[in-house]
Amino acid sequence: MSGPRNAEERLARLLVMLPWLMEVGEVPLAEVAARYDLTEAQVQTDLELVAMCGLPPFVDEMIDVFVDDGLVFVGVPRLFTRALRLTAPEGFSLLASARAAMELPGADPGGPLGRGLAKLARALSDVGLDADVGGTDDTAGVAIDLDRPPVTDELAEAAANGWELAVTYYSPARDERTERSIVPRHVFVDAGNWYVVADDDRSGERRTFRIDRIDTMTATGRTVPSADVVSTPGAFFDDADLPVAVLRLAPAAQWLLDRYPIRSQISLAQPAGWIEVSLPVANDRWLARLLIRLGPDAVVVSPGDAAAEAAGLASAILARY
Amino acid sequence: MSARRVDRVERLTNLLALLLETSRPLTMVEIVGALVGQYPDGERNQRAAFERDKAALRDLGVPIEAKSELGQGSPGEYRIDRRAYELTDLELDADERRALQVAVAAVRTDTSAGRDAMWKLGGSAIGEVGTVSAVMPDRPELPVVRAAVASRSLISFGYRSERRHIEPWGLLLRGGFWYVIGLDRDRGAQRTFRIDRFDGTPDDIDVGPSGAFERPASFDPRDAFPADPKQIGHSAADGAVAIVRIDATRAAAIEREVGADRVIQRHGDGSVDVEVPASNLDAFRSWVLGLLDHAVVIGPPETRKAIVDWLSVVAAGSSV
Repeated sequence: MSGPRNAEERLARLLVMLPWLMEVGEVPLAEVAARYDLTEAQVQTDLELVAMCGLPPFVDEMIDVFVDDGLVFVGVPRLFTRALRLTAPEGFSLLASARAAMELPGADPGGPLGRGLAKLARALSDVGLDADVGGTDDTAGVAIDLDRPPVTDELAEAAANGWELAVTYYSPARDERTERSIVPRHVFVDAGNWYVVADDDRSGERRTFRIDRIDTMTATGRTVPSADVVSTPGAFFDDADLPVAVLRLAPAAQWLLDRYPIRSQISLAQPAGWIEVSLPVANDRWLARLLIRLGPDAVVVSPGDAAAEAAGLASAILARY
Repeated sequence: MSARRVDRVERLTNLLALLLETSRPLTMVEIVGALVGQYPDGERNQRAAFERDKAALRDLGVPIEAKSELGQGSPGEYRIDRRAYELTDLELDADERRALQVAVAAVRTDTSAGRDAMWKLGGSAIGEVGTVSAVMPDRPELPVVRAAVASRSLISFGYRSERRHIEPWGLLLRGGFWYVIGLDRDRGAQRTFRIDRFDGTPDDIDVGPSGAFERPASFDPRDAFPADPKQIGHSAADGAVAIVRIDATRAAAIEREVGADRVIQRHGDGSVDVEVPASNLDAFRSWVLGLLDHAVVIGPPETRKAIVDWLSVVAAGSSV
């Protein structure tokens, strides 16, 4: 929020703020600011401005609003009593978010979200063609599949209650199974994988674990409350401290761009269609594993010993054939 | 008389109010006349400023109707139909609005569209994120494709440099990607496309007239799509499978991943043999090699050989 705002953004915010203000009539300035993600000064400036707006014969009376002593007052509503219709991206985003939330652990189709979603779907099918197709579903045609490992629900319940769990966890970076006690704090899904953010006794830190790598799990009976709110970590994989590898990729290997946080990317003149990328690397073994999957579709530029590491790992796999 | 200094928000608000309130469409000259002193002097400057304002309002989603009764070259006339402007009342109960708000807070996207929608529905930016959340990819093509699905309009788009013509039956988010599933008119068969692989921008998607096809009554995107990514790009009928031995370290996890019904043999050392789709060899190879030496392809012989050949290339080593 804050920062310089252009006229379109300010008007857009006013057009959602005014109908709400007209409904409540009188409200603390601070509440308006928090509600619309603005500073109090920004709200005051913009409300005072629209109060001056007007057309003959309603000059200065078109929008009857004033700010006094930290309170916003609204008089007789005339214009802008209703919000602007949803744009197509807004309608889609809201529908998809609500659908996705219905796929999260603990969602209740018969609850308020399910009912709200049904009303939203009816309003969005305003073209009138959705409702008679696909049976019960007004918006058949938008489906969200966040299929989760069976233990996800238990982890979500543990996160909600601060329950400690004893788990065995497989770490692909080190290729080993470990025993640890964790206290789940947050459960989330990203790019089709489910993760749990948990306080980890083994490292003494808050760590993110992939749920499908938890092999066994039992409650210890201990409860460890947490004061802080934990939400989705932002790009937890891409740590600035991680070393970077430079690879040249054939077109067949460029799915990598979708899966990993590529730092830079340039097109190569030769061979045609190849690109050079740099990407952060968790550790040598992780890179070797990636190189084995990419095979002849990738050539390592740096680090210099990565190809040898991958060759060694490939030989170890071949030994089993 | 020169224009007084007017905050552009004030001029935009007045323009919006004027076009909503007017009983008949107005020309630019009438609009500039009504907003006294708010537009610059001189017709060229006025035209430029007015066009900029019109574009700004349309960007916000304001449906400005423009018509030119006397045909090309005559001055345009403008108004806003209040019914098209105003939000349809969803008649949400307070708990339903709150639930939608929590949903928007729990589902993280790259845009603010969900939050903006909640504001319009009377919600607030103050979202409490609970202990469960999702990261949802957002693509600018999605609203266009969804509208085409809803109105049953044919779409055509560039996909890997080829123009495809599709009856869009449904959209599906799975595994972190959005897909559109439908009948490929040129191939006469059902196909699945990744939305983020469309060529160009959303403007490059052509949408035909509505009601152009019938979606099969039983269609559900979830079933229509190959459940296993190793099958994408191939029809379900092409059911090539491979048998893979998973060692004890990874056996439990892989059994959960592929399903117990895929386990065809259990061994005394804790390893298991599983049957997995392999018709998409690239995807299969990537999966099985990701398991490192915890997985060995048992058969069929040509699949096993393909993996061995691949590994031999890597084992021989190559770098710049």
